[in-house]
Amino acid sequence: MKRLILSRLLQIIPLVIGVIVMNFVLIQMAPGTLLDIMTSEQQITDPAALNRMRELYGYDQSPIIQLLKYIYSVFTLDLGYSYRQNAPVLDIILAQLPSTLLLMLVAIGIAVTFGMIAGVIASVKVNTFWDVVISLAAVFFFAAPTFWLGIMLIIVFSVWLGWLPVGGMTTIGVDYGFFGHIWDVIRHLILPALSLGLFYMAIYTRVMRASMLEVFSLDFVRTARAKGLSTTRVIFAHVYRNALLPVVTLLGLQLATVLGGSVVIEAVFSWPGIGSLMLDSVMSRNYPVVLGVFVLSAVVVAFANLLVDIAYYRLDPRIRNR
Amino acid sequence: MTRLTRRFFLTTTAAVALAAASFTMPGLSLAQDTPKTGGTLVATWGGFEPQAVFVPGGGGSSPLISSTKILEPLLRMDGNAEFVPVLATDVTASDDFTSYDITIRDGVTWHDGEPFTVDDVIYTVNEYWKPMVAGAALSNFTGIEKIDDKTVRMTFSKPTPEFFFKNVLATSLVLPEHIYAGSEIATNPINNTPVGTGPFKFKEWVRGSHIEYEKNENYWDEGKPYLDGLVMRYWRDAASRAAAMEAGELKLGIFNPIPAPDIDRLTETDDFVATSDGYLGAAWASTIEFNSRNPIVDDPAVRKAILTAIDRSLIADVVYFGRARPGVSFVSSVNPIFHNPDLPKYDYDPEKAAEMLDAAGYPMKDGKRFTVELLAAGWFEENGKVGQFVKQNLEDIGIEVNLKVPDRASSIKGIYSDYDYDIALSNHASQVEQVPRQTNYVTTDGIVKGAAFRNANGYSNPEMDELVNAMAVEVDEEKRVEMAHKMQEIIAEDLPITILVEMESTTVHADEVKGLEGRADISADSLSDVWLDD
Amino acid sequence: MARSAPSQSLDHLYRFARNKGAVLGLIIIVIVFAAAIAAPWLIDRDPLRIVYRPEIWPFTNPKYPLGTDSLGRDILALILFGARTTLMISFAAAFTATILGVIIGAFAAWFGGWLDEVLTRLTELFQTIPNILMIMTVVAVLGQTIGNITFAIGITMWPPIARLTRAEYLALRDREFVLACRSMGMGNIRIMVTEILPNAIPPVIVLGSVIIGSSILFESSISFLGLGDPNVASWGALIGDGRTLIRRSWYICAIPGLAIMFTVLAMNLIGDGLNDALNPRLRDR
Repeated sequence: MKRLILSRLLQIIPLVIGVIVMNFVLIQMAPGTLLDIMTSEQQITDPAALNRMRELYGYDQSPIIQLLKYIYSVFTLDLGYSYRQNAPVLDIILAQLPSTLLLMLVAIGIAVTFGMIAGVIASVKVNTFWDVVISLAAVFFFAAPTFWLGIMLIIVFSVWLGWLPVGGMTTIGVDYGFFGHIWDVIRHLILPALSLGLFYMAIYTRVMRASMLEVFSLDFVRTARAKGLSTTRVIFAHVYRNALLPVVTLLGLQLATVLGGSVVIEAVFSWPGIGSLMLDSVMSRNYPVVLGVFVLSAVVVAFANLLVDIAYYRLDPRIRNR
Repeated sequence: MTRLTRRFFLTTTAAVALAAASFTMPGLSLAQDTPKTGGTLVATWGGFEPQAVFVPGGGGSSPLISSTKILEPLLRMDGNAEFVPVLATDVTASDDFTSYDITIRDGVTWHDGEPFTVDDVIYTVNEYWKPMVAGAALSNFTGIEKIDDKTVRMTFSKPTPEFFFKNVLATSLVLPEHIYAGSEIATNPINNTPVGTGPFKFKEWVRGSHIEYEKNENYWDEGKPYLDGLVMRYWRDAASRAAAMEAGELKLGIFNPIPAPDIDRLTETDDFVATSDGYLGAAWASTIEFNSRNPIVDDPAVRKAILTAIDRSLIADVVYFGRARPGVSFVSSVNPIFHNPDLPKYDYDPEKAAEMLDAAGYPMKDGKRFTVELLAAGWFEENGKVGQFVKQNLEDIGIEVNLKVPDRASSIKGIYSDYDYDIALSNHASQVEQVPRQTNYVTTDGIVKGAAFRNANGYSNPEMDELVNAMAVEVDEEKRVEMAHKMQEIIAEDLPITILVEMESTTVHADEVKGLEGRADISADSLSDVWLDD
Repeated sequence: MARSAPSQSLDHLYRFARNKGAVLGLIIIVIVFAAAIAAPWLIDRDPLRIVYRPEIWPFTNPKYPLGTDSLGRDILALILFGARTTLMISFAAAFTATILGVIIGAFAAWFGGWLDEVLTRLTELFQTIPNILMIMTVVAVLGQTIGNITFAIGITMWPPIARLTRAEYLALRDREFVLACRSMGMGNIRIMVTEILPNAIPPVIVLGSVIIGSSILFESSISFLGLGDPNVASWGALIGDGRTLIRRSWYICAIPGLAIMFTVLAMNLIGDGLNDALNPRLRDR
């Protein structure tokens, strides 16, 4: 177990270097640097000032040196400095990380909980009315673009019914007290979390249903049923546990997208998270921030993989005894 | 004299109207007269969050709005295009207009408690204005010296017109020397938590959401600001802002905060007011520019034909929902001093446009005349739509169009660094004063590869250069107006760039928000006079 | 391998047709294709043309059955021509991803050793970057054209194909018929292409069809965010344009969204059907 964790942790290093190199090359391909955009925006034409800024930003060095310096600084936990925002990249990302995590974890939470329940119901009542309804809903939500679903939810719940706010994370300028504030955030969270959650839920429902059906047909379940165990007990004692493995795999993959999965939804709901930050940064060619988000994402993915491995280890005795 | 009479007439009318209002609704005028203190105002504007609270080099409208609540200029312009004191109490020109004495306000302190002194002004002029923000305007500037503890003298190698000079003072902020001295102003981290003299102090910036300001208790203008707190809140899209206004979350939105169709809906309720006041100092326009490097669109006859082919009224009606009007001149018609109304108008007439192109030597061949690259700058969503209209109008007269709508960064690069366009649809926000910011669009000096928002077209006309140079040193205000009129005539003839439609910028606010009147540029206003009547 | 080819295909077809959803999906896709192909004949003008007053509601003017958008463009024309854009980008992108993925996966599995190590790491590397972020960045860097959007989606979506192909090739590599070919002195590439590929391809095709669905979603997201090609009609861009008018004219957003949803839905149903028909592991369940 410890060896597994250690080897996984060590794999993060080449992964992060790879991500940096790949994206650095991509950014080098881009016509024009961040400096060009900033100086032209600010109408800085004085050659001395241009040179000073070039030195300050490190553009006076060759790309290889810039790359090596950046890799070094990343391993000292420094993701560079964003001159556009006048702040360290890590600070900027960390400032917007919590809202994205909140949104994604709630969305995934909704998706896993209700997706698994729906999947189990559909598989137990396979080929009945409920199975059809659940499967159809899953098929539709899996195909609907999340941003469109978000806008449709806004039209219904904010514009027509007026129940929920159209965007943002909090109501600014009003003091509701502690619990009032939490309720306020929840009200803002419902629609974006639902837009994402319904899409993810569709995946979990499908996977859960399929894997339940597969386990049902396995010999030991048939035996258990033949022994006269009640269906409910069979489901929870044997089937559920075994059917959970694909769900865990999926959850691991999903955690990997926790930083980027909400870009479009954040744009729809003005959610102040990493997605909005990325969109602005890409649009303004603020590459230090873009690179920073990619690096952080690589680290998150590596940890997500580790979590999946641990979960497998706990859930599946076959792996443990290997 | 004529101007005075006109204003007298206007004020009289307003007084009569007010009297009538108070007659039918007693108490209304009373409520408007006595500002109330207290309350927090949540405000926004029709764009994105700024990249930093204060961007010394400019950085667009968003940082201008966020920084001007904290940092102040020496003067400001009011709604009648006249200058009123802020940090300077008096600005006097020498007889030959080659030097100006500036007297600064007494008893002003920075937000950190340090006193505001003439040294701050000297530092700001030398280290900030000259190299970074007002370099072109201060090209004849030779030095600044301290006369006494309250007075500095700025000297120039050539006569400097008063309106022109005061405009520099009104559009450039004063920085605290004790904070910036010895650092790189552009990249000083303090720009995210600025220290100024303004009515509001920086409190907190929650990135992706809002900037919070608190009242400056030691503000030099006693009794102000009326508000206890101010929040600039940012939404990514206009529909959300409209919804926030309806929900009561948002009380003030400047510079087209909400979709135009929503403006009427909101103001119908009487809970909201929409006004186009306060955009004199930043008259926004949608512009069309022709690249002189392409021999076809370099021909003024072709340019005139193209303008004649574009249905500008339709663009104003559909893209801007009627909150715009076809442009007449390079200088916006809202400019109370320099606008020239007597210019050839290129009204929409596609058949005439086609004839003009035939006459210019570009007849139809195999269904088309020639092909142009049309670049619509993607920093405003509307530009892409204007691009669709122009493309369609030009295709109707046989000009094939490749439309590009790049994002902000690529648009700046495409227009100002690569000159990669034949026709560009862009925007500018012009001040009342035309030199040098507006004239940079048409002078040879204005051609600087890689620098944005100036002459990208490569237009170079000695007559124009001479005229602008003369305007920069002409101290007689009447003569400057004549020169500006002449400049617009030349532009209307050569057409390197002109206004396609004049955008009518709108402020929308809740009825209870008072004290927004009389500003030349509401974006750059400190909001010290704003109060809540609830 | 024993069954003769024609009866095997008939068998696939039968299994596919037995799946009602798959047939429905196929019908929808055929309709979308028909719309895309017929668009220039049905609409005799540039779909981006402003034809009438803006914001005409659907079913109120027979000349513009689906109404007009915020600029006065015919929504029906935008939907029909949007189908072209969507299909073109998504099929080309999925094709690019499949080719890339198959080559990388096949080489990794067949040659093994350091090449496998390198290619597997490369695959993992691409999987650590959230797809939409990668696509956004590539499009912003290279420029907003159909070609670049296709490339961006293709270069982002190949890793799952590579992983699957690698697994299939690994499973098939040591089978008797492959060993027999080797002993006959067949070259590496020839065995990989003519012997293993036909056996490895069915699950890859299934995954490819799912990738087409995802590509449609990515293309629409990119256009929605304003990073699309302004010279072509796009469903996603239409939703983006209509967003400011959701209070008065919500249909501008609703209609293209339905088009996207049904097309993706159809691709997914077809994927399910192909899965039942082609996937040998599940065939006899």
